[in-house]
Amino acid sequence: MDAARQHDQDIEHDVSQGVSQGVDQGVDQGVDQGASHDADRGVPRRPVPGLASRVRTVSARYAVIAVWAAMIAVYAAAEPGLFLRTPTFQTIFSSQQPLVFLTMALLCTICVGEFVDLSVPAVFSFSATLLPVLVVDHGWAVWPAAAVAVLAGVAIGAVNGLLVVVAEVNTIVVTLGMSTLLGGISLWMSHLNSVSGLSAGFGRIALYEVGGLPVSFYYGLVLVAGFAYLLAFSPLGRHMRFVGASREVSRLSGVRVDRIRFGSFVAAGLLCGVGAVIAVAALGGYNPTTADSYLLPTFAAVFLGTAIIEPGTFNPVGTLIGIYFLETGILGLQLLGLQAWVSPVFYGGVLVVAVTLSTLLRRRRR
Amino acid sequence: MTPAAGPHRLEVAGLSKTFGPTRALRGVRLQVTPGELHGLVGQNGCGKSTLVKILTGVYSPDPGGSLTVDGRPLSLPVRPAEQREAGVSVVHQNLGLVDERTVWENVRLGRYRAGRLSRRIDRKQERRAVEEVLARLGRPLDVGERVGALSAEDRAAVAIARAMQDHRPGSGLIIFDESTRALGREARSRFFDLVRSLIAGGASVLLISHQLEEIVEVTDRVTVLRDGAVIEAGVPTREVDETALTRMMLGRHLVTHDRVDTQAREEALASVRGLAVGPVDGLDLEIRRGEIVGLTGLVGSGFQEAAEALGGARRARAGGLTVREHELALDRRRGCTGDFVAAGVAFVPERRLEEGLAGELSVADNLTLPRVRSRGNPLRIGAAWQAEETAAMIALLDIRPADPGAPVATLSGGNQQKVLLGKWLAGKPDLLVLHEPTQAVDVGARHDIIDAVRAAARAGCGVVLASVDAVDLAVLCDRVLVFRDGRVARELSGDLDQDAIVHATFGADESGEGWVG
Repeated sequence: MDAARQHDQDIEHDVSQGVSQGVDQGVDQGVDQGASHDADRGVPRRPVPGLASRVRTVSARYAVIAVWAAMIAVYAAAEPGLFLRTPTFQTIFSSQQPLVFLTMALLCTICVGEFVDLSVPAVFSFSATLLPVLVVDHGWAVWPAAAVAVLAGVAIGAVNGLLVVVAEVNTIVVTLGMSTLLGGISLWMSHLNSVSGLSAGFGRIALYEVGGLPVSFYYGLVLVAGFAYLLAFSPLGRHMRFVGASREVSRLSGVRVDRIRFGSFVAAGLLCGVGAVIAVAALGGYNPTTADSYLLPTFAAVFLGTAIIEPGTFNPVGTLIGIYFLETGILGLQLLGLQAWVSPVFYGGVLVVAVTLSTLLRRRRR
Repeated sequence: MTPAAGPHRLEVAGLSKTFGPTRALRGVRLQVTPGELHGLVGQNGCGKSTLVKILTGVYSPDPGGSLTVDGRPLSLPVRPAEQREAGVSVVHQNLGLVDERTVWENVRLGRYRAGRLSRRIDRKQERRAVEEVLARLGRPLDVGERVGALSAEDRAAVAIARAMQDHRPGSGLIIFDESTRALGREARSRFFDLVRSLIAGGASVLLISHQLEEIVEVTDRVTVLRDGAVIEAGVPTREVDETALTRMMLGRHLVTHDRVDTQAREEALASVRGLAVGPVDGLDLEIRRGEIVGLTGLVGSGFQEAAEALGGARRARAGGLTVREHELALDRRRGCTGDFVAAGVAFVPERRLEEGLAGELSVADNLTLPRVRSRGNPLRIGAAWQAEETAAMIALLDIRPADPGAPVATLSGGNQQKVLLGKWLAGKPDLLVLHEPTQAVDVGARHDIIDAVRAAARAGCGVVLASVDAVDLAVLCDRVLVFRDGRVARELSGDLDQDAIVHATFGADESGEGWVG
């Protein structure tokens, strides 16, 4: 009986929430300005947000960063000798280049409303396998092989794009299939083994040290900054945001919706290819059986990113912070002596929390 | 109905609600007497919804207010259990029914009595309980019928039965929150018969509605909210009429729109040739600069499809549109309306949040979207022109709040419509195609929108106005094409009045079926 009552309350609550959408929710918030406007009708004035709401906005924006700081403080207190040393932070910042490229590739399509491209880690892995296989097994020169690896990524992106945009097949289905297919081909190409033996000279494109960190770290920074600029300030980025928000609105506003959607899949393939070449250069080879380990961190970071900087919105800078947040958490736990099972637990947990957070933030914004 | 003596059924006093910097409600007072039908009116954004949400416990009010039912104070925020105990219930806009389930399941939803051990629902008992409630309501229905199969008024009866089932005879308050919106004119009068039978049984009703006509016709007293405050508390309805109510809601004298002289010039601007779309087959139309041409008709007559084709939103079977020197083929499959935008054609679609604006993005982003490529360079949109354009449109259309960064979804319907119009007016179009531009907006917004359309025509823009709203058509248009079965059945021009438009639309021999006026 009590349960039934509670259930009913929930329903009433839901119903009234649903109703408010069309009527005047949020309008409530415009009321006061409206009232004070009667005197100076027609003269726009930006409302001054109250301190409380400003604090709330700021805290939503930077909550994850605060948690990150708190996490570092806890690890520092728990393992002062191990954690608070330069090599720890070098490890955190130098090891994440593949993930930066993977997340940005995923952002390309997720920003334009494709939900979701599961093939990103597989495309990355395919290019990363192709390069050492061509060089080591087939005797290609490294640069042409790298070019082919990048082109392969672009081509796969284009196939994904054709299937999703032109043939209108569901994104998850297409990319799940593509992902499995590519994973299999990678294993076949490599004979189920890791392929290594690339020259150290080629490795310098990733490992050349600048200010104590490998240059690949800076590639990631440049990529993220460029992407963030594109979304915030360029016409293309604005169009991408609108396509992500509503295809029909974009179409009727003169935005070439299908071209942008297709282009985003191609761009995702390109980023996977380039990211793979840099990662292979750093490693000197590649083991295709490790491909699956990238899937969860990629999604965890992208969704965690929606809780940072621009709450409720997929954004590159938030995603980058999310990556280093996750890596700090795992490295700290490992330094505390926890085993390999820690990282799936942590990534999985953060993914669930992050998706919940981003859903709640989006709902609040509407 | 004379209000009875004794404690009020519902008494709200000094109720306020603050959202951050905004005070949505300020010291609201409201008294509903037993057996009364009380109306509550106000513009979009006046705080009606906030008040309902406080009454139902969704929002907690600022400290200091009070809420009593039959003389007993309720705790604030309102607890649903207590609210039910006091006999206060709400019928929402969409009635809150599950179409796939039966009448009795809908009425008893959340109240099922189940066997102690078996957890089985005692269907017989449930059905009997529902039959009793419907009998009390004077509307016996087959309780085993699927709700989706019922007529509009029977559905309303189910929602009312659900709301009143816990009421003791001679008590209870039902709040109807825009519940009549889904009902046709016929169904509406039968709905009010039901409401009156509730009142005859001693219940009270608080009726929230945009339909002033309805409020004046059926309520005993009316309370008017404006900007979160009560402007008139419980005026007997026989002392007011629609005009007086509108004046109270707006706080300024209603500016009735009169026809103004035509802005049309001799200069030809656009021509439509051989348009075939939907039921329309071979429409030709010449539009001069500054001319406002209305398209209307019954739903299904083809005028809506014609407007959508002219705006580039719908692919026609055949036809061409020439705007100045630009030729547009209307029968081509196109991924987007870029060529229309480039030719100076702007289309304001009917469904503003599905086709017109992205709700989660800001006012400024939405306003400037069609021009970010043409006015910016490939690497940079440029901030100055965006700010300037947005400020100009906010001022022109009196968009509130005047905050370029506010997400469009947080604006009221009227202000969203203004943003949508501003999005296209800012591009100084040559041909403006409007589809129901004043649909579901309040009186003030409608006024601003009509003014802005006129100003555009004065500046030389040709306007095509597709609407079923005879008042808009009469006030704005230089001529009106009335469609019937895909053909232009009548063309009205000169001194237009709404009666003539309505008459031409229905025609002497028409049944009037499908009319959604």
